[in-house]
Amino acid sequence: MEPVTVTICMGTACVVMDGSRLVLLEEHLPERLRGLVRIRGERCLDLCTRRSAALAPFVLVDGEPLANATFESIVLRIEERLAGRA
Amino acid sequence: MVDDMNEGGPRGRCAPATSPLVPDFIEVDHFGLACGGEHLSGDLFHSRSLEEGNRVVSVLADGLSSGVEAAVLASVTASMALEYVEWNIDTAKAAAILMDSLPVDPVRRISYSTFTIVDARRDGRTRIFEHGNPPVLLIRDGALVPLERTVLGQPRWGNRRLRVSEFQSSVGDRIVLCSDGVTQSGMGTPALPLGWGEPEAAAYALSRLARSPDLSSRRLAELLVDRALWNDGGAAGDDITCGIIHLRRPRVLQVLTGPPFDRARDREFAALVDRPGSRKVVCGGTTSNILARELNREVEMDLALPDREVPAPSAMAGVELVTEGCLTLAKVGQYLEAGACPRRNAASRLVELLLESDVIHFQVGTAVNEAHQDPALPVELDIRRNVIKRIAALLETRHLKKTLLSYY
Repeated sequence: MEPVTVTICMGTACVVMDGSRLVLLEEHLPERLRGLVRIRGERCLDLCTRRSAALAPFVLVDGEPLANATFESIVLRIEERLAGRA
Repeated sequence: MVDDMNEGGPRGRCAPATSPLVPDFIEVDHFGLACGGEHLSGDLFHSRSLEEGNRVVSVLADGLSSGVEAAVLASVTASMALEYVEWNIDTAKAAAILMDSLPVDPVRRISYSTFTIVDARRDGRTRIFEHGNPPVLLIRDGALVPLERTVLGQPRWGNRRLRVSEFQSSVGDRIVLCSDGVTQSGMGTPALPLGWGEPEAAAYALSRLARSPDLSSRRLAELLVDRALWNDGGAAGDDITCGIIHLRRPRVLQVLTGPPFDRARDREFAALVDRPGSRKVVCGGTTSNILARELNREVEMDLALPDREVPAPSAMAGVELVTEGCLTLAKVGQYLEAGACPRRNAASRLVELLLESDVIHFQVGTAVNEAHQDPALPVELDIRRNVIKRIAALLETRHLKKTLLSYY
């Protein structure tokens, strides 16, 4: 199965809004999702200027923006994506 | 620092990056270690840039014995030499005054400090005054060039001699100064009973340059000192110091940071990346997005080595390094202020690139990132222009770099 792609924004606003931790996502994935997720970084997704810096950090899950991203909310969104494909 | 407030790029007062302001450049740097067990090195390598960088005078002084006493002797010798030069006293005269005034050890009949003075001009005129240190090496086109030395003596100098050489340097020449801690390293060990020796040390320098002809002065000095320490079995048997003077074309680094104030200039700003004659660094997410769009290039991030202080670096064709903007630049300022990079991350990589360059041209886009002004952010982000000015000032004062600022 094609993995779900998580793109983590590494722009200034996202990083200071606690997004810097998100690069460790791999370690926070539950066992059942291992190997099903591809994680990449992006210099800046430019979502803070288009929406609001208060909504940072941003990630994209299969291209769909997720605001105020946390490990938990990203995992939830990945599972939704996988369920949607099934 | 040339501060070009009004206009960036080729139309500004700054010379364009392709024709660097400084035709040739004297790069001086050194590295040294104190004799094992001592806090202070009794070797000193000091340099002074004179006549607006057109002339550099360097002194290597090696105080007798080691530790504090040696450090004081070397320090007095080196400062005297540089002070005389600062007072416009000719270097030959300064060297003679040192010979006259240095106390002599009553038993060994040698000066309390040996010294080498190199007086190098950007037009190539070079004079060297040597007393007691291992002979300097002149390296040209990957080979040693023998120096013609005139030996000067005076009745009042006893059997002590001053060796003077005068020659015309060519672009690319390196002058290598070593204390005897380098050439005598390993003395008494089974592998090197008589020490490393001057020819071997010279051969080592040549072999390293054959492998990487663009070695910075700092790096070459480090390599020689490291090898001497290795010869000594890991604990320096004497103070080990190496200083290098390199006449060469300046290495220019362009730092592109910040989106241009006027979007109409994005294309012109992005075109800087492909101008030949310099290396490029891009600092800023929005900035890299603009360049990626205008140049139709990918920005690839490497998440393999996450750092909790500074976001990971990324790569783009034609650029040495792409980093995040404000946080990374603030960290670069801190590292330069502290004089050391305690971590290996995007900021330390940028510091390396800055220090490897002679002329640093900051191309600063002045558009303010509105998201950074959002009170929701937990930290205060300094205005890019201020951070860059601080970095430029540190590079000029602490590292004798030439910096240029252009605003877009």
